[in-house]
Amino acid sequence: MQPMFDNPPGLLLVFGNLLVFLLFAPLFDGIIRRVAARVQNRVGPPLLQSFYDLFKLLGKENVDSAGTAPYRLAPLVAFASILCVVAILPVAGRPTALTPYADAISLIYLLTLGGVAVLMGAFASRNIYALIGASREMTTMIMVEPILFMILLLGVLKTGSLDLTTVIYGTPAREYGWPGIVMLVVSLFALQAFVGRQPFDIAEAEQEIMGGPFMEYSGPNYALFKYYLMVKQMFYAYLPVAVFVPLLGARHVGFDLVIQLMLTALVFLLIGLLSATHPRFRIDQALKYFAGLFVVALFAIGGALFA
Amino acid sequence: MEMQSTLLAGLALLLGSALITPLLATQRRVAGAANFLFTLAAGTSFGLLAFAILSGSVPGESFVLHLGEIAVPFLIDGFSALFLALISFMGALAAFYCIGYMEMAHYRDYPLRGFYLAFPLFLAGMVGIVTVDDLSIGFTVAWQTMTLASYFLIRFDDRNPEIVRSANKYLLLMQVAWGCVVVAAAAIPESGPGTPLHALAEGLGAAESPRRAAIYALLLLGFGIKAGMFPLGQLWLPDAHSSAPSPISALLSGVMIKTGVYGIVRTLFWMVPPEVQVHEGRNLGLVLACFGVVTLFIGTVQALKQHDAKRLHAYHSIGQMGYILLAIGSAQYFLLSGNPLLGTLAVLALVGGIYHLANHALFKGLLFLTTGSVQYATGTKDLDKLGGLLTLMPLTAFAAAIASASIAGIPAFSGFVSKWAIIGSGLLGGKAAGVIVLFAVIALMTSAITLASYVKFFGMAFASAGVEWNEKKDIREVDFWMLLPMLLLAAACLVQGFFPAFFVDLFVGIFANADGSIAQALFADPATQAALATSWAGVRLDLGAGGVAFVMPLVVLAALVVAMVLADWLRTSGSSARRSAPVWLCGYQTRNQDNSYVSSHIYAAFKKFMRWTGGNVHGA
Repeated sequence: MQPMFDNPPGLLLVFGNLLVFLLFAPLFDGIIRRVAARVQNRVGPPLLQSFYDLFKLLGKENVDSAGTAPYRLAPLVAFASILCVVAILPVAGRPTALTPYADAISLIYLLTLGGVAVLMGAFASRNIYALIGASREMTTMIMVEPILFMILLLGVLKTGSLDLTTVIYGTPAREYGWPGIVMLVVSLFALQAFVGRQPFDIAEAEQEIMGGPFMEYSGPNYALFKYYLMVKQMFYAYLPVAVFVPLLGARHVGFDLVIQLMLTALVFLLIGLLSATHPRFRIDQALKYFAGLFVVALFAIGGALFA
Repeated sequence: MEMQSTLLAGLALLLGSALITPLLATQRRVAGAANFLFTLAAGTSFGLLAFAILSGSVPGESFVLHLGEIAVPFLIDGFSALFLALISFMGALAAFYCIGYMEMAHYRDYPLRGFYLAFPLFLAGMVGIVTVDDLSIGFTVAWQTMTLASYFLIRFDDRNPEIVRSANKYLLLMQVAWGCVVVAAAAIPESGPGTPLHALAEGLGAAESPRRAAIYALLLLGFGIKAGMFPLGQLWLPDAHSSAPSPISALLSGVMIKTGVYGIVRTLFWMVPPEVQVHEGRNLGLVLACFGVVTLFIGTVQALKQHDAKRLHAYHSIGQMGYILLAIGSAQYFLLSGNPLLGTLAVLALVGGIYHLANHALFKGLLFLTTGSVQYATGTKDLDKLGGLLTLMPLTAFAAAIASASIAGIPAFSGFVSKWAIIGSGLLGGKAAGVIVLFAVIALMTSAITLASYVKFFGMAFASAGVEWNEKKDIREVDFWMLLPMLLLAAACLVQGFFPAFFVDLFVGIFANADGSIAQALFADPATQAALATSWAGVRLDLGAGGVAFVMPLVVLAALVVAMVLADWLRTSGSSARRSAPVWLCGYQTRNQDNSYVSSHIYAAFKKFMRWTGGNVHGA
């Protein structure tokens, strides 16, 4: 008699998932910073440094350079969109209470909404560097999002459904065949672009355009954007784990989740190493790289369709 | 009989307007008001007709109108009624908008006689296209009325040789399109002047295969030119739509190019008789889907390159028409496959295509109207020179924001559900759908490009900054006469986005009652209606065997609002102080045209990467 543990109520999963993402995202961000520091022979900040940053920013002065609604709404929409993405995301194979209300296409559109909010904030902040960053951010998004979608699409083709739980967890890993292996490789090669880290931190490029879209934001507004980026980063690192690594099928959702989180931490180690050892691409170089990945991913989809 | 008299009464009102309103043309606002009242009256009668049919209280009706020796068959069914409703709604709003808009400084010394002669005739021509039931005499009268009237509307600003050239090109291509359709119809065995569509379909069944293929090709070509299909749309659409006065552009993009889709849907779903072999019929759908996906990709990428706001909208019309054509083509391809899974997806695709058509009519019309207002207030439609209108024209900005969100398919706005249906129907077919799956991936990618383009449009015109140093300083919000139609359209856009169930049920009903259509049996099947379940929250498609897809705009919206409340709580939780400060300009004292990042620079790398798609803008 342990129904609570076998199948926790969906609403609990919504809040549980939100809590996991909100708590772990800054921690994983800390891993990247620590790894980068070690590669550069520094001690590095504590693992919780990203939390400290957020707390500090929340109390700082909120400077408003635009005075318009889009400028003020942008951080809210960005953060809200990623919260919604997390809320509909099934937890280790179990649908949350909100999963039955948004399918894979809705998920992609919600993810895009976050990017749109960043852009809107950048446009509204009237800063030239923000505009340059926004332009690069959107260019990256156009190219990278279909790649993310094609990773999910393999599951759609195998199961004939757009329900997120089925799409992500419905196909045993071995049934993906060679297109699955190609797609796993694609997702690893696209990882840095998904999370916006070197060599693909083109939109923010601190040394060059000083944070790009976020340039005019400060204090709590910036904290929301930061938090949004961290959660988004964790989502993108978690997704390949969820799609390609089979669940243990443990009775308790917690075991599966712990394993997934450990694997996600490993992915973050990889992200940290890659970003510490790679210089930034120019946007035109990145475009060619993405186009190559896009074609390979399309090829894998074609393989799954016609093989 | 009653239906016939209602239709004729509406047409008579439009003709009356064409006779009377030009006489008032020296009193510009009076003429505008008269034109609006006539259009409203005619629109009301068409609207009542459409409502009676769409609500199911009367069945569709066909009748023959005898004009002396000549007999012209008419058919008004649910599908015509949908177009009648769109034409009436958009026509009345555009006519209202004209009252204020034609007072624009640039137009003030142009006489309005020709304009108010052509405006009602243009509407009458479009009404004719969607109600006549032949492809010979009635079709010719309607098509030429529509074409000639719109030609004079497009070349309204005739002191600009560029605009006259665009209009002439439009006229020429529309004649080519007309020629294609009429020749195709004449080539059908046993057809003559005034042969109704169902007889033409039978004739097609009797024709031998190569001839039939040629006829279908000509029909697709003719209607494709009108619908802006690649590569023919690029020849006329961006020039014509950007030259016309904005309310006319709204009608051109909003409804006129949809008459091409009307023709294509009639061809694909009414004119493929059972004698046509299945693979032959399916190829027709596949060819259209191929053209659709190329049209949507190329059109949208070309749109991204534009910095003239109206050209940007016009290229996007091509792109969005591509979505509609893809949906219609794949629906027909799925429908004739005989596979029950694909049959259900055909329903979703066709409903998605028609839904997108209705959504596009409204949001594209609204985009042109807001751009018209911007042009009215600032004197320019060049995004390189605009910027920062948000505080100067808040209501126009609000309407433009809704329209931009709608075309971009941001969740819960219109465009979201219709694109979901189009993309979802393509993806779920899996192996059975073959190449359509890849088309859906391209469509999804293209919707991100649409988004990029409209973030740019809204961002550069309304957010950002720039208009204050480029154009005059005393920019004011447009008056009530121009705001009212925009706000009404914006509200209608929201309704379209929030309540997909109503529209999906409506479109399923149209095809379930479409006599003579190959889609009727499938749409009327209770199993189909069970598979495509609608509720207040949205639409859910159940394919059996665990295959589901669903879209719930209101739930997503509610979740977003709750999350935003949470985010706002987080933002204020540190009780930080707020302060306003000017933008840091990296050392420049003031911002001006020389040190800013203008619209042409946005996405420069991507535009360069996509140079091969054409539609490039010099210097951008």
